[in-house]
Amino acid sequence: MSIFAEFLEKLRSTLINRSAFLRTFLIGAVLPCFLPLLERLPQGARLRRFLRPPGALAEKKFVDACIGCGQCANVCPNKCISLCGLEGGIENLATPKISARAKGCILCMACTQVCPTGALQKLEPTPEGIAAVKMGTAMVSEDVCYSFAGRTCGVCYRACPLPGKAMTLGIFEQPHVHEEYCVGCGLCEQACIHMPQAIRVFSNRSIS
Amino acid sequence: MHPYASSDPGILKQEHLVNAALQIRSGRLLVFLSILSRLTVVVLLCALALLTEYLNLKIAYNHPRLVELSSGKAMRMFYEAADTVFSKFGDPMQLAQTNGGMTWSIRLMGVPFTDPIAALSVLAKDHRMKLGFALGLTAPLALALLFGRAFCAYICPASLLFYFISRIRRWLSRWFYFPELSIHRGFSWGVLAGGIGVAVWTGHGIWTLILPYFAVGQTVFHGIAMGTLSIALGSILLFACLDFFFGRQFTCRYVCPTGRLLGFVGQKSLFSIRRNAQECLTSCNSCAEVCPMKVSPKLDQSVDCSVCGECLVICPTQCLSIGIRKVVSIPSHVASPIPERIHGSPPQSL
Repeated sequence: MSIFAEFLEKLRSTLINRSAFLRTFLIGAVLPCFLPLLERLPQGARLRRFLRPPGALAEKKFVDACIGCGQCANVCPNKCISLCGLEGGIENLATPKISARAKGCILCMACTQVCPTGALQKLEPTPEGIAAVKMGTAMVSEDVCYSFAGRTCGVCYRACPLPGKAMTLGIFEQPHVHEEYCVGCGLCEQACIHMPQAIRVFSNRSIS
Repeated sequence: MHPYASSDPGILKQEHLVNAALQIRSGRLLVFLSILSRLTVVVLLCALALLTEYLNLKIAYNHPRLVELSSGKAMRMFYEAADTVFSKFGDPMQLAQTNGGMTWSIRLMGVPFTDPIAALSVLAKDHRMKLGFALGLTAPLALALLFGRAFCAYICPASLLFYFISRIRRWLSRWFYFPELSIHRGFSWGVLAGGIGVAVWTGHGIWTLILPYFAVGQTVFHGIAMGTLSIALGSILLFACLDFFFGRQFTCRYVCPTGRLLGFVGQKSLFSIRRNAQECLTSCNSCAEVCPMKVSPKLDQSVDCSVCGECLVICPTQCLSIGIRKVVSIPSHVASPIPERIHGSPPQSL
């Protein structure tokens, strides 16, 4: 009890008797509030919806929970997770993202095992665990795709971790994506031989 | 006993009893240890970032020759070295994945360590904490309760940078004048409150820019694992400029919210700086002058002491030591009066 009273007394004397404390405290508290102005700096086109690692919560909850410690990026054996800079705005700073064209996710679920705050929910690298992943959905641009132009390709189908379920082949190996099975790992986008890619993965997780 | 020191047999007896406890008197050892351990932390951060590279090589090539063909001889040597180390303890892949993170939240051999600011920030924004995350607080808080701000002198990689900057300042001060400014320490409480406010407003990423050691961790990770420059480099430069132009370890003293929080938690720490009042000289104030945290051992202050050992090196009578905090209070007539200060600010309390 005496410790508590001593603490209160100290707090009171610090807060009330010292205008210097209050002044510097206010200056210190106001300064970080200018940091979001960094967003006003001129930047290129901004993609607000990133592809997140597997097991991520809904976008807003994910950004709330993620502290940007980088453990997911650190254990990723595929090096497909990178940490955002300012390209996603200040709210996405230091959060993990996956750039599917550069490297898709191999669904090893190592990142979901290590997340300290639960921003990535724990998943196992089993067929059930993989089926529970919902990072996004692949979409084919039929006017760009080789197979839809009659030149048999089928590279995306061969890259797909769930062939026959998430993606089936038509005539000339034309890819058909089935949204209910597609987990959005981005391996098809990484593998696409057309430049720019004819198949893209879009994040379709709910916002909140 | 020093000839100019006051003497009182009763006090001497008390002092003798208290001094029997564990003590460190060698300041040089502490300074050396603090630099060594902070260097180790920097090396550890680089190694953790390189671990990503190792995991990638392991899963993609898994053969020294292929590794060498894909990324060169240096990487092959690193790959083989890491492989030998990890193979001794078990499956290299799994073992390597038990380590990760940076100064903000880190796992070493599966043991999590959490920054108190991270926990505060998560509590303020998300209101939930995982058990492992909360348990990770144990080690930092225990360190603070035992040694006060020892984190700042022994672990924080940013303070190593500031230490070197202070040495550069000292060398350059032969030709240039460098000011030694003091502001009220409420500033860092303000940064803490403002940082949590902005974290709730936008996101936790804001700490990348505010906390010096988080900025260092981000920069190292971005540079080594991802090969890009991090935005946090900008804030490191800002903090370095603050230190260079405004005062020795200015950021640690007046800006860093973690240091303030640890100093607050550890103000009654078990171990702290101790002064032998009988041997302390009345006219000398060198310990307060040299202290990077602007603590005055002369006045038996120990709040914010980071046990860096610089005052032990400078003390002419060796009356200072690091040991168990004094429980006996010394009568005021024995404690030396405060000498007139030639420069620097008047001593401040928290």
